[in-house]
Amino acid sequence: MSASGRRRGFWRGGVDDVRQASRGWRWGHRAQVPRSAQPWVPETESTVFRSDWARTKPAIAAREVVQRAGLEPVFRSSVRTRVQGLDVLDRLEGPVIFAANHASHLDTPLVLLSLPDRWRRRTAVAAAADYFFDTWWRAVGSSVLFNTFPIDRRGGTMATTPGEVLEQGWSLLIFPEGTRSQDGWMGRFRMGAAYLAHTHGVPVVPVAHRGTFAAMPRGRSWPAPGRRQLTVRFGEPLRPRDGESVRDFAGRVRDGVAVLLDEESTTWWEARRRAATGTTPDPAGPRVAQWRRLWEQSASPQVEPVGRRLVAWRRDRP
Amino acid sequence: MSRPGFVLEVDDRTPPLLVHEGLGFRLEEFPLGTRVVYPPEPIDPVADVEQAIHDALHHPVDSDPLPQLLFAGMRLTIAFDDISTLLPTPQRPDVRQRIIEQVLTLAADAGVDDVVLISANAFHRRLTADELEAIVGERVFRSFFGEGLLVNHDAEDHDNLSFLGKTEADEHVVINKRAAESDLLVYVNTTLVPMEGGHKSVGIGLSAYNSLRHHHNHDTMVNSTSFMDRHSSELHASAWRMGRLIKDHVKVFQIEATVDNTVFPKSVNFLQKREWEWSIRDQATMLGTRRALAAAPLKLRHRIFHDMRSQYRITGVNAGEVEAVHDLTLAKVHEQQLVEVQGQSDVLVLGVPFLGPYNVHSSMNPILATCMGLGYVFNSYRGRPPVRQGGALILYHPLNEGFNQLHHPSYVDFYEEVLADSTDPAVIGPKYEQQFAQDEWYIHLYRTSHAYHGVHAFYMWYWASHAMDHVGDVIWVGGDRRVAARLGFRAASTLADALEMASGTVGTSPSITYLHNPPHLIADVR
Repeated sequence: MSASGRRRGFWRGGVDDVRQASRGWRWGHRAQVPRSAQPWVPETESTVFRSDWARTKPAIAAREVVQRAGLEPVFRSSVRTRVQGLDVLDRLEGPVIFAANHASHLDTPLVLLSLPDRWRRRTAVAAAADYFFDTWWRAVGSSVLFNTFPIDRRGGTMATTPGEVLEQGWSLLIFPEGTRSQDGWMGRFRMGAAYLAHTHGVPVVPVAHRGTFAAMPRGRSWPAPGRRQLTVRFGEPLRPRDGESVRDFAGRVRDGVAVLLDEESTTWWEARRRAATGTTPDPAGPRVAQWRRLWEQSASPQVEPVGRRLVAWRRDRP
Repeated sequence: MSRPGFVLEVDDRTPPLLVHEGLGFRLEEFPLGTRVVYPPEPIDPVADVEQAIHDALHHPVDSDPLPQLLFAGMRLTIAFDDISTLLPTPQRPDVRQRIIEQVLTLAADAGVDDVVLISANAFHRRLTADELEAIVGERVFRSFFGEGLLVNHDAEDHDNLSFLGKTEADEHVVINKRAAESDLLVYVNTTLVPMEGGHKSVGIGLSAYNSLRHHHNHDTMVNSTSFMDRHSSELHASAWRMGRLIKDHVKVFQIEATVDNTVFPKSVNFLQKREWEWSIRDQATMLGTRRALAAAPLKLRHRIFHDMRSQYRITGVNAGEVEAVHDLTLAKVHEQQLVEVQGQSDVLVLGVPFLGPYNVHSSMNPILATCMGLGYVFNSYRGRPPVRQGGALILYHPLNEGFNQLHHPSYVDFYEEVLADSTDPAVIGPKYEQQFAQDEWYIHLYRTSHAYHGVHAFYMWYWASHAMDHVGDVIWVGGDRRVAARLGFRAASTLADALEMASGTVGTSPSITYLHNPPHLIADVR
């Protein structure tokens, strides 16, 4: 081979190597661990960055600008949303705990941007310390954008606890599943939200949404093209009953979200009747082949177009 | 706390995986479902090496403490493993040096005058003065080498060999005369892989052709399944019979040191790590290294790799009676290297690294590459081979390093004449081995230069006997086609091509296992 041919081969080899590495190690994205290697991921003593500053007046003002001028236009241009049940908030004074199902990174902006402004400005989001607070830039970014504070999914102690944030008068958005769903269906609820409601005497507002998994599942860093439809529904606030244990209350919160999901696909009345007879569909989904579970969740929810709403008295135009 | 080894199943999240191929490496994208066996991470080393050696010498297993075995007026011989163990060459001080210095300190305290140190190189090449000095250290070298008391074992110096008798299997036992006639033979071993140590140390390292021919042959190697598992190895069974006979004639005080799995220096740390855990820095180092190796001529690449010094840390030192010591050694080596693997696969993939026991400061010629791939790495199992009988073996090596005329002169003739006739070890052994074993010129080069013995090339080929007997297809990815053909194998450009070529043997969707070695591992196949 000639010298120029060798030089070309050298550079082409370099480009191929870089391409292969960028694809293999997902440059620009979070690194992934092969599934069979996950039991062997070492426990890291990661540094968790503080986020108290995110709830100071300058940070609140900055967030308002970022959310209004940046996040919201991008979000609205990428997806379509339908929000229902916000009237429950009219009957409430803060703080509350919003407990929602979790299927995508779109869940947080969906719920936050669905809230009335006065609620949105006073809501902080519980975010996994090992995921959102492991580097300074991720911690700063998520705190500015979403007013996040770190929680330890492994049960450790944090610099700022959710209880302290609640006591400062902030409502919390918590995803009790602890992590995004693998297949779009709802998982087991951890007891953190129920425990906080129990110990701080605040109501839990169940929130159910659909479509975020179809729009941006795990592994995607941007919503799928075509402005997918998302729906979100806020439910009646739940309060611990006298003598009710945290475990039982956590189950009731999950049931509250399940009923809202049922309501999404039927009607309020049908969902209530099914809840009364204990026949609310399991939000964990049917026990069928995995591809069927994924198939069902990968479809965006169907929403009646605004112009063709069912009306009680149809008046034909002349 | 180090993590154990495990079996990865390649999925859509798995990045390309590193495969060694001689003086380089590549990133391979394995088919989904491929099993990849990863070695355990380095286990905890001993806290204080000097203290560990001291404890071993003063509290040996099944033996009196070394100070009690030393007395004025005695003949003391210290034999030690040559450069073929602890690969790559370890950073200094070598653990053999640290052990020998403590042994000599005790000998000096006891008033021992008659001390000889012997490098137990059997049919390996004589070590140079620099290589001896690197192993035993400057103090020992300065004290003994000039006096002719630090020497290489000469397996062709018949005046200085002793015939000790025959085993119950009619095997001749011949060892170095000085060692045989000593009041005490201290053997200093370093065990990197479970094949080494035990009765192999004296019985093979200090022996001669009349002994070696009993176990270094095709039949023995085919029946050693594997030679990394002492209890299933005919090679070891023979060595153990010989060792027990030696024990009746010579008092042997065996010292064995075990090491962890820190094969590579920090500068190329990515070679030690699991690929999905590579940091940005690791990825950048990998890309830079790949480009540097692509631009470098063969000689420079050789230098880059062979100048690397391993960073092994000592995980244990045991001393005393040979078999009792070796049991402890094996337990430690297994703790470091054993990985449980469920079942065999249709295809086994192995990367052949730049270094084996017989090309230290030398070239990995095609015969040594075969020995390394089909011998050492293939035999890195316990129980059953990771590939089924009649399966395919895919190896990575360019087979392009050529022959080192100084170190491997007989290999050239073996390649050009013997392999041209037949590549079947069962055929070439009876037909050609004696000719090479008795060739005066090869013997002269072995004794006076730095050449491996004339028959050594045959031994390397026998080392691959079990793999050749077991698998139905051997394909070298990236290998020189002409060289592969001479070796009796085939070459492919890519893994996909190799799998296509093997489809006649294993079908179009075979199960695949890749042993991610080095760092060293032993697949415990259930």
